[in-house]
Amino acid sequence: MDSIRFNFPAPVIDESVDRLRKDVRSFLQEEIRNGTFRPGTDCWCAGIDPEFSRKLGQNGWIGVTWPKQYGGRELSALHRYVITEELLVAGAPVHAHWIADRQSGPLILARGSEEMKQTILPRIAAGECFVALGLSEPESGSDLASVRTRAHRVEGGWEITGTKLWSSGAQSCQYMTVLARTGERNEKKRHEGLTQFLVPLDSPGVTVRGIRDMSGVEHFNESHFEQVFVADDAVLGAVGEGWKQITSELALERSGPERFLSTFVALEKAIQQGAASMEGHQARVIGSILARIRALRAMSLGVAALLGQGQSPDVEAALVKDLGTRLEQDIIERLREFWPIQLKQSFGDELQYLLSDSLLRQPSFTLRGGTNEVLKGIVARGMGLR
Amino acid sequence: MEQTDQLILDTAYRLFSDHCGAEVVNQAEIGEPPKTLCDAVMAAGLPLAWVPEKAGGVGGSLALGFNLIRQAASFAVPVPLVDTMIANLVLAESGLEMADTWAALVFDGGQLPVVDNGTVTGVVNNAPGVVSGSLLVVPVSDRGLVRVATFAFDNLAIEECESLAGESRARVTLEGASPVQLSPVVDGMTEDGLRQFCALARASQIAGAFEKITALTVGYVKERQQFGRPLGKFQAIQHKVADIAGESALANAAIEQAIRMLSEHPEPFSGDNVAFLPVATAKVVTSEGAATVSRLAHQSHGAMGFSFEYPLQQYSRRIWSWREEYGSEFYWSERIGMSMANDICHGRAEGGQVWDIVSR
Ligand SMILES: Cc1cc2nc3c(=O)[nH]c(=O)nc-3n(C[C@H](O)[C@H](O)[C@H](O)COP(=O)(O)OP(=O)(O)OC[C@H]3O[C@@H](n4cnc5c(N)ncnc54)[C@H](O)[C@@H]3O)c2cc1C
Repeated sequence: MDSIRFNFPAPVIDESVDRLRKDVRSFLQEEIRNGTFRPGTDCWCAGIDPEFSRKLGQNGWIGVTWPKQYGGRELSALHRYVITEELLVAGAPVHAHWIADRQSGPLILARGSEEMKQTILPRIAAGECFVALGLSEPESGSDLASVRTRAHRVEGGWEITGTKLWSSGAQSCQYMTVLARTGERNEKKRHEGLTQFLVPLDSPGVTVRGIRDMSGVEHFNESHFEQVFVADDAVLGAVGEGWKQITSELALERSGPERFLSTFVALEKAIQQGAASMEGHQARVIGSILARIRALRAMSLGVAALLGQGQSPDVEAALVKDLGTRLEQDIIERLREFWPIQLKQSFGDELQYLLSDSLLRQPSFTLRGGTNEVLKGIVARGMGLR
Repeated sequence: MEQTDQLILDTAYRLFSDHCGAEVVNQAEIGEPPKTLCDAVMAAGLPLAWVPEKAGGVGGSLALGFNLIRQAASFAVPVPLVDTMIANLVLAESGLEMADTWAALVFDGGQLPVVDNGTVTGVVNNAPGVVSGSLLVVPVSDRGLVRVATFAFDNLAIEECESLAGESRARVTLEGASPVQLSPVVDGMTEDGLRQFCALARASQIAGAFEKITALTVGYVKERQQFGRPLGKFQAIQHKVADIAGESALANAAIEQAIRMLSEHPEPFSGDNVAFLPVATAKVVTSEGAATVSRLAHQSHGAMGFSFEYPLQQYSRRIWSWREEYGSEFYWSERIGMSMANDICHGRAEGGQVWDIVSR
């Protein structure tokens, strides 16, 4: 090997992208002025507000890349990118629809039945239907192929039994994509015999229990499936293809702006507050953070462009997430030098509120969606070391 | 990039592969000068990459030139190619005549010497690429405006030294020196514009070196066996390699963005606000990454990487010197921070938002 070159092509930003950005921006500024939401950190995970998601749907900002016949607008991936980054930096409460817009919708589009596409996608795009991810379990985290949730064939469909853990936002979702074992477990072929199902969460036998996280938010859940019947057409994609499907889904999931902008609201506030007295050392710290954010954004947009060209930049996507999530944490650690983080109460000080909430949430950044150790493993494999 | 650009890069790649092996680089520092390489680089016209065709050059785009610079760095090319490319471009921009020898831009990112009544006075402490016989191209300040003066090597007081990597650096002292040529004020060229342009060249070099360091490290840990298996099978080593790859990818993303911006800029030496942020970003990210990349690569290589014979040191020493030149990460990040603060205080960001500037 002579050299290892990463290429990040330029995104093609035309006037329609700029216009969309302006529209989203002014909508959000208006909403903040009207007090519809209070800007929060890690808003794509911690901010659940179905009403707000519905508003975004009405504005046509969910599922924008999907075909018009399924409620989409046939816009480019870059249009979607711009919407999501504007929502993130505004700290808008977007968690309710985030997963469905980002990955469940595209998964249904690629693998779902025609019936699913016609009945579910338009509702997702309207901001009325939300989907949770049912991957992790009490005994399966990084080693996802070890899931124990089982689906048995029964007349007219399948019966699912098992427990899914940590599913974000499930309490406000109508559906969950559940990864279950459908074939016998074979230690040599661990990735075979897994299937994804789209399970309505109001099915008999499903219970969803909220779990309070260390920041005080009840955002993830434990879900029990006790002999839950689903019809044949609840199978997402092909029986036994579940592993392949989730790995390609994860590539989409890893390189987006939510992997480096989760704490940007806090940085934004800090700079605004510090601008008037900015001097040498503080300027260096702030400048160094801003440079890294800009570079990561160029990288993340480059991965989006590669995906748009039909390539599968798994390594690049894993790198964005590894570098980006560490940066999100680093930002807060570095701001502490100028704004110590001590109290739970912020007494109306928005910056203190954002900083303490960021700190209390930041252990999750490098875990969710595949830990950084797992990501580095993907990079190492891509470089031929595994 | 255009097709002809790619052709030139391919030619250069073959040329470097043939004539710039690790041994040539080491010998250039402690033994024989790389004569074959020098001749080949000259014969291929690479130092003229940026010179317009009508001035006898290759007429390559800015993107071509920066990519060539990155590529040359991934071979640690021990001839003043980059220096001559930049010097020639500055000559072309200022309407002066090119030399058919090596040339050097006598500029280290510090204050420009001053021209007064046709003579030049000032000291440039760390001018890169000054070699015996080269044409010296000195940007000078005429009451704050930039003009360009040229001098012959023999007519100036030059103290030759070496960078950490043995690349030529020189302290050039001008005391009422009379130039061979002196341009009028160059439109669209400022001291900060020169600084930014050279900073982006160094950033591109660092990115090129990162690529090579990544390749060397991956190659080494696949080959070297300990405890009965290749080092690369150990997760601790895999994670180091992944971190090197991350910094390398980030560096590339940053310089490519800056190169795209500068390519579309009508005045690449203006140093205006449009150019500033992408270029500063590129230099901060590459310079910051140099510590991580060199540390992890050396750790993965064990003692072998510490030997002179093994090529890793050619790249780690280079990035240590390049990261300081034309502004370190500390210099440029302070400027980014201050410029952001000023923009916010003076209402130059839409809605008073930092994000508005970051996302431009
Ligand atoms: C906020 C949040 C939201 C989440 N949302 C969802 C969701 O919506 N749906 C869902 O299914 N899951 C969700 N998860 C779960 C998440 O995907 C898992 O936390 C993650 O995959 C890691 O699994 P684990 O927590 O069981 O940790 P483990 O797998 O037990 O890992 C613990 C530690 O050991 C390390 N480790 C494990 N294996 C190796 C190895 N082979 N080599 C080196 N190190 C290793 C890990 O990197 C980690 O540092 C969420 C998690 C969080 C924190």
